[in-house]
Amino acid sequence: MEARGVWRLALPLGIAQLLFFAAPLLLLAGTSFSTDENLTQTSLRAWREVVGDTFHIQSAINTLRLGALAVCATALLAVPLALLHLAAGPVLRRIILIAAVLPLLTSVVVRTFSWIVILGREGLINTTLMGLGLTSAPIALLQTEHGLVLALTQIEMPLMLLPLIAALARIDPALLDASASLGGSLFRTLRRVVLPLALPGLLAGATLVFASATTAFISQGVIGGGRLNYLPALVWQNAMVVFDWPLAAAMALTLMASVLMVAGLLSLLGRGARHA
Amino acid sequence: MIEFNRRSLLAGMGAAALPLAAQAQTAMTAAVYPGGWDEALANVLAPALRARHNVSVAFDPLFAVDQIAKARAARGTPSFDVFVLDPGPRVSGIDFSLFESFDPTRLPSRGVLPDGYADAQGAAVAAQVVGIAYNPTKVPKPTGWRDLFQPQFASKLGLTGFGTTFGTISLIEMAKALGGSEANMDPLFTELRRIKPSVAAVAQPAAMPGLFQQGQIDLMYTNTYTVTLLRSRGVPIAFAVPETGAAAFVTTMHIAKGSRNIAAAYQYIDTMISTPVQTALAAAPYFFVPVNRDVTPGEDVPMRSISEINRFVTHDWSVINPLRAGWISRFNREMAG
Amino acid sequence: MHRFSGGDKALALLIMALAALALLVLVGPVLVVLITSFTTSQALRFPPPGLTLRWYQELFDPVRSAQIHRAAGNSLLVATLTAIAATALATGAALAIARSRAGWARFAEGAFMAPLVLPGIAFGLAALMFFSWLHLPPSLWLLVAGHAMIAGPFALRTIGASAAGLDPALLESSAALGASPWRTFRRVVLPLIMPGVAAGAFLAFVSSLDNVPVSLFLSSAQTDMLPIRLWGMMETALDVRVAAASGVLVAVAFTLLLVMDRAVGLVRRMSA
Repeated sequence: MEARGVWRLALPLGIAQLLFFAAPLLLLAGTSFSTDENLTQTSLRAWREVVGDTFHIQSAINTLRLGALAVCATALLAVPLALLHLAAGPVLRRIILIAAVLPLLTSVVVRTFSWIVILGREGLINTTLMGLGLTSAPIALLQTEHGLVLALTQIEMPLMLLPLIAALARIDPALLDASASLGGSLFRTLRRVVLPLALPGLLAGATLVFASATTAFISQGVIGGGRLNYLPALVWQNAMVVFDWPLAAAMALTLMASVLMVAGLLSLLGRGARHA
Repeated sequence: MIEFNRRSLLAGMGAAALPLAAQAQTAMTAAVYPGGWDEALANVLAPALRARHNVSVAFDPLFAVDQIAKARAARGTPSFDVFVLDPGPRVSGIDFSLFESFDPTRLPSRGVLPDGYADAQGAAVAAQVVGIAYNPTKVPKPTGWRDLFQPQFASKLGLTGFGTTFGTISLIEMAKALGGSEANMDPLFTELRRIKPSVAAVAQPAAMPGLFQQGQIDLMYTNTYTVTLLRSRGVPIAFAVPETGAAAFVTTMHIAKGSRNIAAAYQYIDTMISTPVQTALAAAPYFFVPVNRDVTPGEDVPMRSISEINRFVTHDWSVINPLRAGWISRFNREMAG
Repeated sequence: MHRFSGGDKALALLIMALAALALLVLVGPVLVVLITSFTTSQALRFPPPGLTLRWYQELFDPVRSAQIHRAAGNSLLVATLTAIAATALATGAALAIARSRAGWARFAEGAFMAPLVLPGIAFGLAALMFFSWLHLPPSLWLLVAGHAMIAGPFALRTIGASAAGLDPALLESSAALGASPWRTFRRVVLPLIMPGVAAGAFLAFVSSLDNVPVSLFLSSAQTDMLPIRLWGMMETALDVRVAAASGVLVAVAFTLLLVMDRAVGLVRRMSA
């Protein structure tokens, strides 16, 4: 195949994406600037409601905060595990990888369901705590934000772990040996050699975790409950219950914009770190 | 002689039946309420429909308001052929012109329905009763709606909003018990705000039975068919009639405008009101309230006959519908704000 | 390997502890689901009061669980079609990007990967609005189209990695020996990128099986999808069969993972 005409091979995917991805999103944007779902008239009503209403703003803030918490929690656990993978032998490495990939292959419904069993009033955590005598009454973990963050940590961890492992795998082992033989402590080696080289993986993982956690509306609804206010639930409610499509579209776009903004920020951070 | 004739008659019938069986089965889709109704109709109505009319039905589990939303989104190409609706969404459906014009004369079984229960919009198929459900092993029997706001009850209560008929009715009744009305829901929202930090759960209507079964909540407002469903699963649950009376309403079925299976839809609705199906639904473990005059309801059915519905609390949906969107929004804000 | 000082020992211990916790958090819930699927109680208590195979029996009972079986069949069908569509589209794009030095290639790569980061619920709603506006009723093909858009990036990533390793000299010599482009593709390129293609197809398949946001908005009663039905069962029907279904899904996922890893080194490709 000649390199000249090879761009044509990308056409099918490009056209498909234009038709089935870009066009719907454009319509979504257009709907948000209309009075109703039939696009009869242009209006800023929906956006005014999104921006002008503290309830909606709070919802956006909560959603972003949830994403940030999920990123921190997964990073806290995934970085050490990725480091262990780096130092481990082939058997342990395989185990770690399988453990990382398996949750991704099981449905998000399955993952959410397991957390109902773990966090419930008669679930794993409460029966353990009460059994050990640490508390006399079951603590509420479902319908709380900390319960939700805990669940999301497991649900999203593979998305953080896999890019980290990939990034660490690209580190030249010679560098590690050199650092050690030059008398560097473990701490020093990590700080000066390993972590800076792992940064791209960390940022890629952070982007994926943030995107996934903010839009995980089944987990947010089932584990978080009705007293927590996040954007995805509002999008659903406005689209299918109240049937205010312009408002639903505006909220969906707000969600999209926040995720893209954070992804862009992280990408900039990555480029900045490379030049540092 | 008689044997001969009977045998040849049977043989003749057998031969006549062959082309019928060889005919392709008509497939249709019907909306159904999730949970109790889904199970009941799948186990009782679907087989009866297949046996009588050779029609197979796929069920789309959706609450009444969600059916309206989905039909509106579909813009004339509905994804289901038959609605099942409560009075409020029924009015919405009429307002948005979502129904095919209904002809009661196409229901061969219409004689079993009380007068006025089939009209140009659709046909009534069952009644529903709404009240308080509680776990008798964990909570004393509440006497009425006001009890739900007492600390010992509130801490076990599951709250849900105005997204369904049973939720709307219950919250209106609570408002009335607190001195409010459909026009003035402030007393209700004040009390909700007060108990919000201590209630056991706030969740979507569809999630309430699951939460009750898991022991996350021991008290909720709901339909009697949810109570019988949970009881059939071995969950300790009882129905408490509030002192102001239980609320009831009639559930109707309608044919979706633009449906491509109108004949099958009429057969579906006809089978639903037919005596064998209504008898099975009114018996254990479903305990539906039948509309069919010829059916004796099972023991645990809250209404002995459909004519009793006048003794229950009913509501004016033409007043409620316009206010509901505002209530939904307000409930969200108060609970999640 | 290293000579550890005191401070180093403490740090190493901390890292190991966190890593162990991470492994526990990763794997624990999966085990919890498996154990719960054998519970004798109708509620989701843990630890379960007793063990039974009852829920699995009910799950595989074709009469009692007919709706679940149909949803599973639908999901498998949609996933297969999605995998085919996504893989076919992504292969072309991956080859084009790998062989091109022009600037548009980087931009195109970013654009093609966009569905990974964009919120599924926003896209699901947008797709519903779009098809509703075109007066297209929800159907199998629209659902596949929606799924394929989300699955595309997964396939593109693994096939792209494979395609990047293609030696241009091989292709040039194939052309020089008189092979047509299609022949070159079939005999030279495809066998070389096959592991990437297989891995990509598998990931696209799984992504479609697990897809909730698009299915939620675009499915109808005829295209009842498994995750949606399980979600409904989880909430309203209070059915411990959900645990059994989860058990089956976990077992199938695990088996497929081992098979695909043996065949094409799947796990390695996912972490590349």
